[in-house]
Amino acid sequence: MRVGPEQFSKVWLVDFEFSALPGERPQPVCLVAWELHSGRKLRVWQDELLAMPAPPYSVAANSLFVAYYASAEMGCHLALGWELPVNLLDLFTEFRNRTNGLALPCGNGLLGALAWFGLDCIQALEKESMCQLALRGGPWTMDERAALLDYCESDVDALAKLLVKMADGIDLPRALLRGRYMKAAAFIETTGTPIDTEALASLRQHWTGIQDDLIQQIDADYQVFEGRSFKAVRFNDYLIRNSIPWPQLPSGGLDLSDDVFKEMAKCHPQIAPLRELRVALSQMRLKDLAVGQDGRNRCLLSAFQAKTGRNQPSTSRFIFGPSVWLRGLIRPEPGYGLAYIDWSQQEFGIAAALSGDARMQEAYESGDPYLAFAKQAGTVPAAGTKDSHPQEREQFKSCVLAVQYGMGEVSLAARIGKPPSFARELLRMHRETYRTFWRWSDGMENYALLHGRLFTTFGWQVHTGSKPNPRSLRNFPMQANGAEMLRLACCFAVERGVRVCAPVHDAILIEAPLGELDGAVRTAQQAMAEASHNVLDGLRLRSDTKIVRYPERYADPRGSKMWNTVWDIIDCINGRQSG
Amino acid sequence: MDQMNQPGSPDQVLTEVRAEGRDAPFNLSKLRLSQDFTANLGVKKALIFVPVRKPDHQDFIRVHPGEDWRLLTKILELKRKGETFLVDRELWEQLQKELISKVLFTVINRQGDISLWPIRLPGEDGRLDTWNRSALEAANMAESHWIRVTANMSLGAYEVQQAPADLQEPQWPEVTFGEIVDVAFKDRFIHSLDHPVLRRLRGEI
Repeated sequence: MRVGPEQFSKVWLVDFEFSALPGERPQPVCLVAWELHSGRKLRVWQDELLAMPAPPYSVAANSLFVAYYASAEMGCHLALGWELPVNLLDLFTEFRNRTNGLALPCGNGLLGALAWFGLDCIQALEKESMCQLALRGGPWTMDERAALLDYCESDVDALAKLLVKMADGIDLPRALLRGRYMKAAAFIETTGTPIDTEALASLRQHWTGIQDDLIQQIDADYQVFEGRSFKAVRFNDYLIRNSIPWPQLPSGGLDLSDDVFKEMAKCHPQIAPLRELRVALSQMRLKDLAVGQDGRNRCLLSAFQAKTGRNQPSTSRFIFGPSVWLRGLIRPEPGYGLAYIDWSQQEFGIAAALSGDARMQEAYESGDPYLAFAKQAGTVPAAGTKDSHPQEREQFKSCVLAVQYGMGEVSLAARIGKPPSFARELLRMHRETYRTFWRWSDGMENYALLHGRLFTTFGWQVHTGSKPNPRSLRNFPMQANGAEMLRLACCFAVERGVRVCAPVHDAILIEAPLGELDGAVRTAQQAMAEASHNVLDGLRLRSDTKIVRYPERYADPRGSKMWNTVWDIIDCINGRQSG
Repeated sequence: MDQMNQPGSPDQVLTEVRAEGRDAPFNLSKLRLSQDFTANLGVKKALIFVPVRKPDHQDFIRVHPGEDWRLLTKILELKRKGETFLVDRELWEQLQKELISKVLFTVINRQGDISLWPIRLPGEDGRLDTWNRSALEAANMAESHWIRVTANMSLGAYEVQQAPADLQEPQWPEVTFGEIVDVAFKDRFIHSLDHPVLRRLRGEI
């Protein structure tokens, strides 16, 4: 990458210090900006920043804006009402992309990046105490102001050194595309998701009592709790009574991880309420859910943090992080509506398009790829439907998902509750029906093992590392190109004026005034279709929409039972208290 | 804080971003990287084992229709061990009584596994039993259809089950017939009268 005057007349390295209480928008404290060609340096304190109607540096198309984890800088621009830069180079996304899959001794923060390139990071080591000083909020003494500005400047100096080290390895056009997403991410983080704060306050107030009542109600069917403790011995007895086979640890004990509970709940639905209860008791920290004074859930999306390039927001701070039943807290503001728009069978569509498997594409185009697969394999007649062959459809669906996640016959058998020979036959049918896909998938694994890396359509790469996992490698194109698609869709939607509240794996949540909601949904769906068209070189994936209009609340069917149980308990508690 | 947030409300700034989006310097079709990881990779499945046997009765199979993909030859069979040996043409006359004339067809199953299917040819009297006659007919049918070959003991012949016509055509591996034969008989080729198998048949070892 070259950043000389012939490419950009100005190259601005920028860093903000800001304070941000949980759930609130960032409040800029100070700014340091350094123009690389002229050497001009700006140090601006909060009072001056607030008085500036526009940034004190160029954000035009002939300038380059460089930052580290730039959604924070973009969030400050939005808080100040400033225009965002046309060309944004985020050295964080580029460092992540360069080292994705490798072990980083000092992490992927600015210090970690400096250390990786052997740069002196002693000055930046005071970061934690300075961050706390900025986060504490004002007023600051004159000495504190000077210290914060000096610290901010040291980050900009570090950024310059890092840019010099990284420049040669940066694929600028695609780096700018990633920077474009960091702008969209800042918008999304600023917008946030509307929360029913009264309901949240009730939940927080009664949470301890709710947990006790939940144990009493749900455990009545299982008898596995002793007080608040889950007893493995009792659970073992329950499994024997109900003839449920359960995965074991190498030690011979039951594997009680949440992943196992989640998987087993799919083939033994009677386990699902117990799993919800365990999650509610162990993981749920309602106080951590980041909700601002304006009743909106905001937190860092942690863009590009996952190996696949997906966002990885905190599971306790982000409303889509904890159990699905808590999503019932999402409620549009008066006069507004929300729409949850997700791609239909996104991963199947990606596999079909990128592998070039015509039969897989035909199955996707049918609208029900699982039933189409069953028909292509000759198990369901051509006239068969979802209603006439529900069991077969479910089995072929499990097979498709098993292939996507690299499951073997034993795992698939456990999931569908059939013997391994049955699962083996299903997997064999997948290989026979979708041969082109399998040739592509085999080729991909070979490529990764030969070249030590894989990459997406827009250049997000993963290194295979010293212990490559073939299942993850084969799944990478579906997940990572899905992430590309979501990022692009967010860019398109935000740039066209849609208020995106949150990106969620293969979906986005948007909001609009009720009178404009249908139009916003159309625009967002168009953005998602275009994003898939760009990533998949022509194939437009369909999307489904679920609309919620005030005063309705968002409801995920998987969590409805738990949500209702919890509110029955709250009603009882309130009744007891008033009685 | 209110003062600060006022001018920067998302709606207001979105207007500016929309304008930026119109002129965005991104030509996505030019940025797109190919996801065809098989192109120019040069990795192919190596053929290291080719069984010589009649097809498994549970496999649907196809026979390669090419004339160059079959071999009319004489072989030596050790029935008790279920082993088949290819014999150098130079030795045929001397081993006439031990050898059987067979045709070796190239077979592929639905999993893409390759095998050679030996079927006996008529003797000098021109006669052929019903098992081998039905096998030859099955092999002929398998040149254009996916079939399963199963033994019908009461009939004294093989019977054929034909798959529906819409199954995909087989994808033959990128190897020559010669390579298949080399792999199939790599340690079962008799090229001299001193071969241990012949010495054992003569009672010398």
